[in-house]
Amino acid sequence: MPNADSSNHNTMETANETIKQAPLLEARNLTKVYEDGVKALDNLNIKVMPGEIYAMLGGNGAGKTTTINIFLDFIQPTSGNAFINGIDSNSDPLEAKKNVAFVSENVQLYPNFTALQNIDFFVRLGGKSNYKRSDYENALTRVGLQSEAFDKKLRDFSKGMRQKCGIAIAILKNAPAILLDEPTSGLDPKAGKEFTKLIGELRDEGKAILMSTHDIFRAKEISDHVGILNNGELVAQRTNAELKGVNLEQLYVEYMAGYMEETNQNLVLTNDLN
Amino acid sequence: MIKLLIEKELKNILLSPKFAATFLVCSILILTSVYIGVQEYHTAVAQYEANQQIATQDIAQATNWGSVRNQVHRKPNPMQVFVSGLHFDVGRVSRISGSQDVKLIRSPYSDETLFALFRFIDLTFIVQVVLSLFAILFTYDAINGERENGTLKLAFANSVSRASYLISKFAGVWIGLIVPLLIPILIALLVTTLMGVPISGGDWASISGFIGLSILYVTFFIGIGLLVSSITRKSSLSFLLLLVIWIGGVLILPRMSVMASGQIVEVESIAQLEAKQEAYQKARWDEYSSTISKTWRERSQEMEGMDEAERQAYRDEREWDWLEEDDAARKQVQLDITDNNRKLIEETMNQKKLQERVAFSLARISPASSFRLAAMNIAGTDIDMKSRYEESMRGYRDDFTAYTQKKQAESGTRNGFNINIDSDSGVKIDFGRDDQTLDTSEMPQYSAPVLTAGSTLSKSVLDFGLLGIFIILTFAGTFVSFLRYDMR
Repeated sequence: MPNADSSNHNTMETANETIKQAPLLEARNLTKVYEDGVKALDNLNIKVMPGEIYAMLGGNGAGKTTTINIFLDFIQPTSGNAFINGIDSNSDPLEAKKNVAFVSENVQLYPNFTALQNIDFFVRLGGKSNYKRSDYENALTRVGLQSEAFDKKLRDFSKGMRQKCGIAIAILKNAPAILLDEPTSGLDPKAGKEFTKLIGELRDEGKAILMSTHDIFRAKEISDHVGILNNGELVAQRTNAELKGVNLEQLYVEYMAGYMEETNQNLVLTNDLN
Repeated sequence: MIKLLIEKELKNILLSPKFAATFLVCSILILTSVYIGVQEYHTAVAQYEANQQIATQDIAQATNWGSVRNQVHRKPNPMQVFVSGLHFDVGRVSRISGSQDVKLIRSPYSDETLFALFRFIDLTFIVQVVLSLFAILFTYDAINGERENGTLKLAFANSVSRASYLISKFAGVWIGLIVPLLIPILIALLVTTLMGVPISGGDWASISGFIGLSILYVTFFIGIGLLVSSITRKSSLSFLLLLVIWIGGVLILPRMSVMASGQIVEVESIAQLEAKQEAYQKARWDEYSSTISKTWRERSQEMEGMDEAERQAYRDEREWDWLEEDDAARKQVQLDITDNNRKLIEETMNQKKLQERVAFSLARISPASSFRLAAMNIAGTDIDMKSRYEESMRGYRDDFTAYTQKKQAESGTRNGFNINIDSDSGVKIDFGRDDQTLDTSEMPQYSAPVLTAGSTLSKSVLDFGLLGIFIILTFAGTFVSFLRYDMR
């Protein structure tokens, strides 16, 4: 299925080719072994360039959320590094996090605050204090929240509405990199579609987006790169172009089941990731 | 950053339904308590003045200084409106008489047993029990609740340091809880002055001290709430833990410490003391009896071989010395018994003091005890109130007795009446009555013991210090715990 934003995407790709850019998000030899001996990540290497969406696929416990948590300094890696805009997020987390926005699987904001009050707090916490109410309203409109809901308390919001607020916060933070932890999980198809469209727009604005997801079809539809994680190991990596005509679901199932273990040499590392 | 986080915390608290409920309950409780306290104070003042007047009239109507009896009353203290302490339990009046010791009797609760059953809720109780509970309600999920909600992760996805987040959290909860609760307290103070309670400069200092103490106490519970919230992952667990800590600290530990001190330091009961006194008394008199019997036998032996006339002459010559000797021995026995009684009482009192000190030391493990003890010290309704009053009343009794005896001597009466034997008129008993009232203008007046704000506050320094240490410990613990807190 052709990408809805393929023309813009192609423009960005051209731009990337002409200007040598550094990755905005990079996991370098990232390994995490928990105290109980469970290896959550095993020598993970991922690069996300500006204007790219990287989708991490994998089952529960594959290491997707652990990767995001290391980028956000919520956990320390056992070895390796996670860089945001070239800054090691574990040695200088405060500086690194100025360059990233985060949308979680289930955006939870303060239930006693209205949508606008929540957005005002989190956006200012993200370091942007010069926005006006109209800017917040524009962002909420852009993510598809009805204007009647702007001044309503979050306690009455559905999950989809909260996710929209979360992405509005990320948009307004205007950070060059965005981390999305299963952002479409639990959303209805319409909301999922809107969300995907929005992510595509952000990519087209030059944001580097690292997204963990279970949604194979949406990952294929929107991503520039897809990585499959199994037991903390990146077992496969494909570009969007390489996935054309490929049954990603079958590929995913095969990798997850370990059928393709012997063919790990098939792990594709594209030029821009080297 | 800190300002923004404090603003958020404040807004979050002020917009929460539990704040509205808390504010309403506290305002109603505080205002009702102070209103009732003021009414009770006015009743006590009216009663005090009426009793004083009756006592003065009784004295003035007496016609004989020997029959003058006085009684003095404990003066109502404006601070009892806020910190009733032992006010309702200690007697309000004592007889002043040279022949009997001062003893405060007729406490408000002994007169009004119904109120003793459902005790007066003063500001101390509201702060100690209600506000501490509310402080826990506001903080039990301060950190782990945000983790459960996901807002902690969202906040820390930004460039926020843990230290500034924790400081803001504390400051936000503190301002959000303390400042709005100061409003009903200030209104209550205004009501108190408007309702005519004479609050002196010293009282204002004591009130300020009490408010400061209450703030420290509530701050401790905010600290312990944050600490438990930062060492647990689930708010349901932290609430349970805090409830156990609260019940233990506020309700059980103070009482347990008194019971434990009773086990650690044994104090003899009055019955045991009296038995000991009687045993010594009996032993001493028995010893005296055997000694005197022996002495008498020796004296008899000295007279052996004498005829009756010689014996009589020998006895006559020594009788006075023997009487003095026997009298001295008897007086010595009485002196020994009195000394022993005094010593036993002193020992018991010292043991009681020791027991009290042990009880207070143990109780002070709980900040609730520190708060209560300091509040009562500040208000002057503390455990020493009874002895302080009785001591001052004893001093007054001495002055009063000396004065009445002097007046009695001046009026020519002794022990209430004179017996005049005249050859013409025979025996005449004069009770000294002259059908005129006594001039009591120079009679010494009782003045209640004065407590300066400085002395009451200095008595509370230890408890202020302990509360400060408790607060520092809880915040240090929270800080260490939060630095390692798993945000996921």
